Amino acid sequence: MRSNFVLQEIWIGLRRNLTMTVALIVVVAISLSLLGTGLLFYQQVNNTRTYWQSKVEISVYLCTANSPNHSCHGAASQAQIAHIRQTLDSMPQVESSTFQSQAKAYALFKQYFANDQSYLNTVTRNEMPPSFEVKLKDPARDYNVVASAVTGAPGVDSVIDEETILNKFYQLLGALRNAVIIVALILIIAAIMLVANTIRLSAFNRRRETGIMRLVGASNLYIQLPFLLEGVIAGLIGWVLASFLLVGVKSLLLNNLQQYFSYNVGLSTTDLVEVIVLAMLVGVVLCGVTSFVTLRRYLRI
Amino acid sequence: MINFDNVSKVYSHQNRAALENVSLSIDKGEFAFLVGPSGSGKSTFLRLILKEERPSGGRIHVAGRDLARLSNWKVPHLRRRIGCVFQDFRLLPNKNVYQNVAFALEVIGKPRRFIRRVVPEVIDLVGLEGKYDRMPHELSGGEQQRVAVARAFVNRPMILLADEPTGNIDPATSIGIMKVLDRINRTGTTVVMATHDAAIVDSMRKRVIELEYGKIVRDQFRGIYGQSY
Repeated sequence: MRSNFVLQEIWIGLRRNLTMTVALIVVVAISLSLLGTGLLFYQQVNNTRTYWQSKVEISVYLCTANSPNHSCHGAASQAQIAHIRQTLDSMPQVESSTFQSQAKAYALFKQYFANDQSYLNTVTRNEMPPSFEVKLKDPARDYNVVASAVTGAPGVDSVIDEETILNKFYQLLGALRNAVIIVALILIIAAIMLVANTIRLSAFNRRRETGIMRLVGASNLYIQLPFLLEGVIAGLIGWVLASFLLVGVKSLLLNNLQQYFSYNVGLSTTDLVEVIVLAMLVGVVLCGVTSFVTLRRYLRI
Repeated sequence: MINFDNVSKVYSHQNRAALENVSLSIDKGEFAFLVGPSGSGKSTFLRLILKEERPSGGRIHVAGRDLARLSNWKVPHLRRRIGCVFQDFRLLPNKNVYQNVAFALEVIGKPRRFIRRVVPEVIDLVGLEGKYDRMPHELSGGEQQRVAVARAFVNRPMILLADEPTGNIDPATSIGIMKVLDRINRTGTTVVMATHDAAIVDSMRKRVIELEYGKIVRDQFRGIYGQSY
């Protein structure tokens, strides 16, 4: 096998239908980067979920002197607090529970909103509800059991599961992911058709050469390889472009999103590399297989 | 070298057989003309030798191989032992004489040093010395056919098949082509040539196989084209 002959043939093929090749590269690049973006979103949701799963808590907010809740009759008394603590600690599903006094809640509040004076000015220390922060052994399974045990108990204002808040965020990312993957799949179908057409055009353009190659006894591999590699190389160029786009998506979009929601679960470089490698496999397999199948149809051996 | 044993070929969607119970054998080093009107089965005969078509019945042996038993991936190796020349030359218009001939060796993976040595030899053999870098459109029909013959012969095949090689060439130039084919035949290569050219057949005095409606109606050593055409 003479590699420079094959390379020369590939170059001729790619150059001869330049417009098709460019279209192919662009479509492959966009479809792969969208697919990769979908996968990055997926990873992001997974990472965030595992991160929070270990930390997720039930917050049991207690009544304050002026809670608007009807089940509250003034601030929770010491006896009520002790009773709630006892209820929680006796449950086998609870890993630990910590009491957060008004003073501590206010301190945390001041810390979160340190650069927002208007908030700090309107909320007083007495308005901050004291709470029990409850850590569960298995949040997904035990939430309802624990929540219903304390809901409505004297002195309890409300029970809030942090996972319900997080779920909104997951839903947002999930919906974005689905939308992106659907568009990616449509584009991949378009890419497959484009590969098939490009190879068919290429085979038609060079039917004279391939006819002679067949006649003088060139092996099938020798005849088909330039076409096959032509598709694969176009796919690889598209993939390289897609990789740049994916790096952009990660560093611009996802990292900003993360800052916006003020949580600290970024995607590692390994995650990004994984997605990029997967995109390459998809691109190469897609272009290679499509070229091969097309060749079977249009290049008689 | 070429052995047909009771070979028939019926193309699908056609009632009449293109070849019907054809048995013949062409020995190594022979020169045989294949004559007969259009549609008599000459081209089918040549295509069967190349295994471009499969016979509907009968056995074909080429260069000692049973074509029915030859697996598809070995067909290219069979074709390397057979050179082909056509009426329409089939040269690559964007390659010059040298490149056209070298192409046949490049695509079967011959080393470059070998190519550089044998290509000029063959171009000289067909009488085109000094025209290595001419493009096909700069050559006359006869010269183009010489390039095609050089390309067919450059790999020293055992068999040379020629499908009306003088069909597009004037009689005077045809004689030149026939001299080249004769020279190739003298190196021990078996030559089978399908033709309509009575003058050439009569002047060469070689074996003549006449086909009509897919059947052999005459097989004559040192024959002539015949009176009926």
